[in-house]
Amino acid sequence: MTGTPPHSAAATRGLDRLAPGERGIITSVDCPPVVARRLMELGLIPGTEVEVVRRAPLGDPMEITVRGMHLSLRKSEARHIDVSPA
Amino acid sequence: MSRRPEPALRRIAILGNPNAGKSTLFNALTGLRQKVANYPGVTVEKKTGTCDLPSGARVEIIDLPGSYSLQPASPDEMVVRDVLLGLQDDTPPPDVIVFVVDATNLERHLYLALQVIELGRPLILALNMMDAADAAGLRIDTAALERQLGVPVLGISAAKGTGLDALRAFLERDVEPSTRYFREWPAHLQRVIDRLQERLPMRATLPERARRDVAVAMLLDHGDDDALARNVPAESLADAHMLASRLDEFSPGWRAGDVMGRYEAITALVTEAVNAPVGSTRDERREKIDRVLTHRVWGPVIFVLLMGAVFQSVFAWAQPLMNLIDWGMTHVGNAVGSVMAEGPLRSLVVDGVIAGVGTTLTFVPQIAILFLFLSLLEDTGYMARAAFIMDRVMSRVGLSGRSFIPLLSSFACAIPGIMATRSIDNRRDRFATIMIAPFMSCSARLPVYALLIGAFVPNRWIGFITLPGLTLFSMYFLGILAAVVVAWVLKKTLLRGGFPLYVMELPPYRMPNWRGVFTTVRERSILFTRNAGTVILAITVVLWFLASYPKGSAEMSRLDATRAEAVATGDTVLVQALDREKAAVSLEHSFAGRAGRFIEPAIAPLGFDWRIGIGLITSLAAREVMVSTMATVFNLGSGEVDVKPLRSALREATDARTGRRAYTPLTGLSLMVFYVLACQCMSTLAVVRRETNSWRWPIAMLLMMNTMAWIASFTVYQGGRWLGFGA
Repeated sequence: MTGTPPHSAAATRGLDRLAPGERGIITSVDCPPVVARRLMELGLIPGTEVEVVRRAPLGDPMEITVRGMHLSLRKSEARHIDVSPA
Repeated sequence: MSRRPEPALRRIAILGNPNAGKSTLFNALTGLRQKVANYPGVTVEKKTGTCDLPSGARVEIIDLPGSYSLQPASPDEMVVRDVLLGLQDDTPPPDVIVFVVDATNLERHLYLALQVIELGRPLILALNMMDAADAAGLRIDTAALERQLGVPVLGISAAKGTGLDALRAFLERDVEPSTRYFREWPAHLQRVIDRLQERLPMRATLPERARRDVAVAMLLDHGDDDALARNVPAESLADAHMLASRLDEFSPGWRAGDVMGRYEAITALVTEAVNAPVGSTRDERREKIDRVLTHRVWGPVIFVLLMGAVFQSVFAWAQPLMNLIDWGMTHVGNAVGSVMAEGPLRSLVVDGVIAGVGTTLTFVPQIAILFLFLSLLEDTGYMARAAFIMDRVMSRVGLSGRSFIPLLSSFACAIPGIMATRSIDNRRDRFATIMIAPFMSCSARLPVYALLIGAFVPNRWIGFITLPGLTLFSMYFLGILAAVVVAWVLKKTLLRGGFPLYVMELPPYRMPNWRGVFTTVRERSILFTRNAGTVILAITVVLWFLASYPKGSAEMSRLDATRAEAVATGDTVLVQALDREKAAVSLEHSFAGRAGRFIEPAIAPLGFDWRIGIGLITSLAAREVMVSTMATVFNLGSGEVDVKPLRSALREATDARTGRRAYTPLTGLSLMVFYVLACQCMSTLAVVRRETNSWRWPIAMLLMMNTMAWIASFTVYQGGRWLGFGA
């Protein structure tokens, strides 16, 4: 992806690893191109801040906010989105 | 509602993201002058209406489905793109687009807006919910937006009705399309797009700029884009696919390049035009509600209570209305019957047509009540939370949380349940849900279970539950189990998808729009009555014919003679008995009766004789008809069925050839299992046909369910006999 933010690779995690209330900056969206494009069209593009709001009562999916939009995202999907600490 | 014949109505399309308030605006502009149809070939609803402008001119308004992007990810979005690019045959591109955005969240709604503005079609940007934006202290510089976007911008509140006069006045004018373009493709990509575009032999209706978007769509296509395949020569498309795979190799990330470009433009735009008060980004009210409704404990508790209420209302509240319709239709039938001469025509009208109309209408209360709740849940934003809570459970069988409510509704009746699958965006999930919905034990199966359990299951306590209760529970459970297995298999085979994406917006909570809610209820009821109703009516008439003809036989003449004697001697008891016997003989000699005998060899291994066979055939009208058919077959009359004598009749029925008991408890169990799994409801098939827009799915459903039912009943009956339960 263009414009890799300055951070050490060690600090990036999958979005699914963030606890509720935690924020991160998206560094890459790494899944099949169609899916990646869709996620990015919903605003999940590198450089954007995301916050995990909560997990569903059964632990999956999770609610995140990005650009003022609340999204429900399965862990299996969030895993493909890497974030660095905000 | 007479529509003027002249074809030259200006066509206005309302477009926007889901939850932008599009439908509210559509309802406000058109009032009740709306109609709903399907786009040809797909099950996406086409809502159109008319609106009178201040000058008296009338315009046609199309409410396009809510979308997030012109790169379609669902059938709904596909239709939007096709209409805008001129690829949709029945719906030419609109003369003017009214693009609705949520003013309180421009950043998220502008993405699609920019894509559409780039198409270079006349467009008005309507900033909806301006009242909420004002209340939140957002100051939006509409002049700056107009300058940057090159389109007229108008603040409105569709729910409150403010700004609509200005909008209507705007619709009178000619709108200059924007010439802005918000993203640059890298030079090498631009060359590829130019090359594709030049070689496109597109129709004249397509403006130059839309050609470019068709070229981009071709590049991004994965071979599953039907509209492109229809409109673009195969070699051009193959060319595009080849170019795309080369780009994948040499320029990874190219597919999302324009997305980043647009978001950069949006960030710049919002920074310039929106002045938000510090620390206003959080919606406190939403947070408070969500903390309860999606709470670890309270979330599921409230969910169960709400679903219980919805289910209870479909299941039980609809009952008085259904009884009322039933009663009304009986009276209509009697009234019509009393003025018509006895004979085949009267029988056709009363027992065929009026009964068929009655069957159709009795579904309407359930459909209306379910859709009342569904649109309330959808409008308020709870539906997305319900899906959020249930997603984990449903994902186990390859579905998503969106499938839960349609399946729950199917316990009352599969018909409204299948109609409710429209809220599932993922096409594969929707079809899988439709295919398993009829396995949920619906209310029409209950009378059959009740009859058979009453006849064959001893009322004994097993621990904390009675044997009849346990049996009933097992039947419901068996249906769920079958659904789970079928869903899992379908999602692994026929309906397997590459990388399904279950990302879903959790919209803000809003007060329901009652006008919209009632419009939905009305539409659903009318659509069902008109479309499925005709099929149900036809099937009822056919079944009436099969159960009534051919008339007359040696046995009937003998019975008629005896009856005449009994009438002469005034023996009313004998007359009644003979009437019941006549009904039984008539049914036995009818086509349906013969069919019952004809299928006997096929159902004998399940423990069923020809009498049950007749019941299975008449069940095709509705499963509960089994009960009244059995009553007729066993000479108990067919009017008000008293279940008790029927139960003992079933228990004591003998096999004419062997003189032994015809049915054992094992037969009852086998028959119940058959009713759980078999696809007997022709009305369901009619609705599946409509909702999938093909005969393939209903036929597959019929074959699959009946095969499963046969195998399961065979296993139960033969296995039970082998284990020594056959006595």
